[in-house]
Amino acid sequence: MKKILLILSLLFLVENIMAQEKELLSKIDSIVKVELAKKSYKDSKTQFMIRGYGHTGFASVDTNGETESSFDGGTFAPIFLFKHSERFMFESELEFSLSDGALEVGFEYADVVYVLNKYMTVRAGKFLLPFGTFMERLHPSWINRFTSKPLGFGHDGIAPSSDVGLELRGAFYLGNTKWNYSTYVTNGPTIKDGSIEPDEAGMLAFENLIDNNNNKAFGGRIGFLPFADSSTEIGYSIFSANGTGDKDSQYENIGAFLYALDIAFVKQVNGLSGVVDFKGQYNHSKVDNATYFDAEENETYTFDNVSDSFYVQLSYRPTMSGNNFVKNLEFVSRYSEYNTPEGAKWESNSSQYSFGLNYWISWRSLIKVSYETSDIEGGHGASGVSNIDSFAIHWAIGF
Amino acid sequence: MKTLRLTIIVSLLAGVFVFLYSCSSTENTVTKVKKDAIVHSMSGAQLWGENCIRCHNIPSPASYNDTDWSTIGLHMRVRANLTDEEAKKIFDFLKTAN
Repeated sequence: MKKILLILSLLFLVENIMAQEKELLSKIDSIVKVELAKKSYKDSKTQFMIRGYGHTGFASVDTNGETESSFDGGTFAPIFLFKHSERFMFESELEFSLSDGALEVGFEYADVVYVLNKYMTVRAGKFLLPFGTFMERLHPSWINRFTSKPLGFGHDGIAPSSDVGLELRGAFYLGNTKWNYSTYVTNGPTIKDGSIEPDEAGMLAFENLIDNNNNKAFGGRIGFLPFADSSTEIGYSIFSANGTGDKDSQYENIGAFLYALDIAFVKQVNGLSGVVDFKGQYNHSKVDNATYFDAEENETYTFDNVSDSFYVQLSYRPTMSGNNFVKNLEFVSRYSEYNTPEGAKWESNSSQYSFGLNYWISWRSLIKVSYETSDIEGGHGASGVSNIDSFAIHWAIGF
Repeated sequence: MKTLRLTIIVSLLAGVFVFLYSCSSTENTVTKVKKDAIVHSMSGAQLWGENCIRCHNIPSPASYNDTDWSTIGLHMRVRANLTDEEAKKIFDFLKTAN
């Protein structure tokens, strides 16, 4: 009897202990769940990110009655961002494109960014120049409303796109108006003396990774946004170099002064049930007069080295339409001109009308259909007047 | 040449002015309130709608997570020349709306 009682007591004790343990484990589990729920997700201080854009498409070009058409291999432009802290970042962009059957690699920019304070940010390295707004802000294929750049930009253009140096920039309010500014010093442009390509004597070459003459270029842009809704911006830019020729050459002290005026108006206009987007930029380049040698004629020549270009662009997107297809359409038109010096081997006068219809698949991807008609008089390696009509379809995406 | 020198001098003076202004700790409170009132009165959503559209379409907040928006925010603040307060409000809005 005693033994039975002892066994029953032991069983009761063990069961009690097990029940207490189970209750304790359950309490611990509840506490853990509560604490995990309290712990919020925290951003990491540093981050590496790849963004960028790309495009592909088809183009048919008629030059003075002769037509060529081709699928466009397109462009892939990765942008690398490394954020070290809330103030410190490294950014870089490469551009891979297929041109004339060959791969071209472009080193667009690579710079460090440091935010000094609310109104001042420093950039150093190779950076897009704030000469107007097109090359710095609007050239990526998913932002540019057309399949081409306006006349005067890009290869053989007069508007610089990037340079190597040091920049200070920022933005601030003055009263009810907003201002942004940029001021920089860079390696500067190099003047082509015609020794390598005689037809380009007097042209400026930008994006020099090495300074050819210890003469630095200075520049800057001031932007003014007069209205509280930031719909309108007017900007003035300069880019100046006291010497552009190679050191100890006759062109060492040939200076250059460029300026640009830009304007933008972008606003959803209720009366038009959509977004109106107007942009324009005027570029002016003045290079000091110099004497060049014409090997064919065996004589020297000079000319007043002044060039200019401009574009105006207007687009409308019926974003307030009740039709999902219609509200993603965008109607766009552009006119641009490019004039280079009379007397230069690359003398030309060009004008271009562009019309486009875009369809936005998402906020950063679109299909662009565009028609452009250009009249080009002269140009290096050419004479007479060329009429070029082109039709292009591009698919562009930003990521 | 005179115009060039004058432009460079004006640019340098503007830079000095901004540097001194930004470092100033004796700014009149009333002036600061007036100057900043215009941004203070705008929400992040409003600034997002009005500033991003200057170059490209308004980005969808759901396109990126908080960490990504933080990185993009610094890149875009520089590229678009946003003010400090604009950038903070826009990207705080995007991080709450994603």
